[in-house]
Amino acid sequence: MSEQLRPEDAPPSLYDEHGNPRFFADPAMDRFVAVVMNLAQEVWVQEERLLALEEAKSGEALDRDAKAKEFINRVFAPIRGA
Amino acid sequence: MSVELQHPMKAQSTPDEIARGRFVSGMRSLILNDLAADMGTAYQNRAAPAFRKVHGRDPETSREAHEALRGDPAFNIYSAMRVQAQKMVWASVADSVEREAERLAEEARKAEGPGSLTLDPALEVPKNVHAIDVHLMPGSYTRGGDGLEAGAVYDRGLAVFSMGLMGANLDDIGLSMSRYVQQRFPDFAPSRILDTGCTIGHNTLPWKQAYPEAQVIAIDAAPGPLTYASARAKMQGQDVHFQQMCADDLAFEDQSFDVVWSSMFLHELSKKSRAKCLDEAYRVLRPGGLMIHMELPPNEQMGAFEGFYLDWDSYYNNEPYYKGYRDEIPRELCTCAGFAEENFFEFVVPSIGIYGEQAVSDAAKGDRAEGVGQQTTGRLAEGVMWYGFGAFKK
Repeated sequence: MSEQLRPEDAPPSLYDEHGNPRFFADPAMDRFVAVVMNLAQEVWVQEERLLALEEAKSGEALDRDAKAKEFINRVFAPIRGA
Repeated sequence: MSVELQHPMKAQSTPDEIARGRFVSGMRSLILNDLAADMGTAYQNRAAPAFRKVHGRDPETSREAHEALRGDPAFNIYSAMRVQAQKMVWASVADSVEREAERLAEEARKAEGPGSLTLDPALEVPKNVHAIDVHLMPGSYTRGGDGLEAGAVYDRGLAVFSMGLMGANLDDIGLSMSRYVQQRFPDFAPSRILDTGCTIGHNTLPWKQAYPEAQVIAIDAAPGPLTYASARAKMQGQDVHFQQMCADDLAFEDQSFDVVWSSMFLHELSKKSRAKCLDEAYRVLRPGGLMIHMELPPNEQMGAFEGFYLDWDSYYNNEPYYKGYRDEIPRELCTCAGFAEENFFEFVVPSIGIYGEQAVSDAAKGDRAEGVGQQTTGRLAEGVMWYGFGAFKK
């Protein structure tokens, strides 16, 4: 259902043949970024399952937001300062 | 970082769904704070100097900053990850909405609070509402027709999207703005308030709380989010009437409101429709009435990079009218609609959830235009402040 309305000054070269934004010279890279993020998300889901077990064992609630931030910072450290 | 909605329509999510939402909020925080800073550094150190080498001057506009940044590694990484994170926002809540469709319908049916809902099946929903997946939200505002689906996806998605910066009821904008108006105009006592383009009414409710004696009416062109908004308001005991209507063609009498308000709405309209909305606001306001809009700050008051940073959404987040709106000048929008230039004002309000009530009060009594060009103004990131403009009809 989605049409491709764009700003008047948007050159067509910003988008691929399906209208998706294109950022890298090799279009496979745009898809690869999505794969890496999806994969990291699924790893984090497993991480939360482990945290739940730890919490059950220790009886103490962990700060999951803080843990998620540490996890994301660790995983994506290589892209900082690009 | 993550936020759980605080009303009966909130998701009863599985632990895995909660984890997915937390991850997406965390990713957005990384992108909008850390990677945005990296892109700013890259702009200063690489993109702008390269542009200067070619053109003999710095980029002067948002468009030129965009041109300078295209292809830079920091821009590519920021942009590709931000697009994917936006898709993940909606994906992270879609399963729970689908699974809970019947429970949501039941909760809405049994909501017994005050307020009402009027849909208009004959209304032709405008193209900007249904024909594009606005901010990459699948199905846009008309997903699920006049059922609860679009509203539930929007509500739950916004909770993930906002990273806690809009509060647990997603009403920080409405709270900050209504409190600001109360503080700045203590003698102003509206008896009838209109919210235009209200979506799920999350920024409508604070106006009822600020002015409990006032009749509050909220309109939107999309029926589904309005149905959801009505149930959501009833559950919170808020007496608001929701009505399906287009803001550029109001079915209200001349001089029948004291406030016409909107939040993050004008930038989703075409230039023509936006002008008609402001004309209509002027028409339905009583003398002494106030038109006030919370919006993105205008490009004319920002540097090239800061302007492009906000305009990014126009090119890559399915917000086709975003830049066109930001290129317009709020003062001129108001005067073209009939408001006198001397009655125009613009201001920046600190987020009440982040900075507290006193900061809002100080802003209402202080230098009101200060901060329009600051990095935190209009950016949903740490330390966000909200930009607003409006005018009294004299």
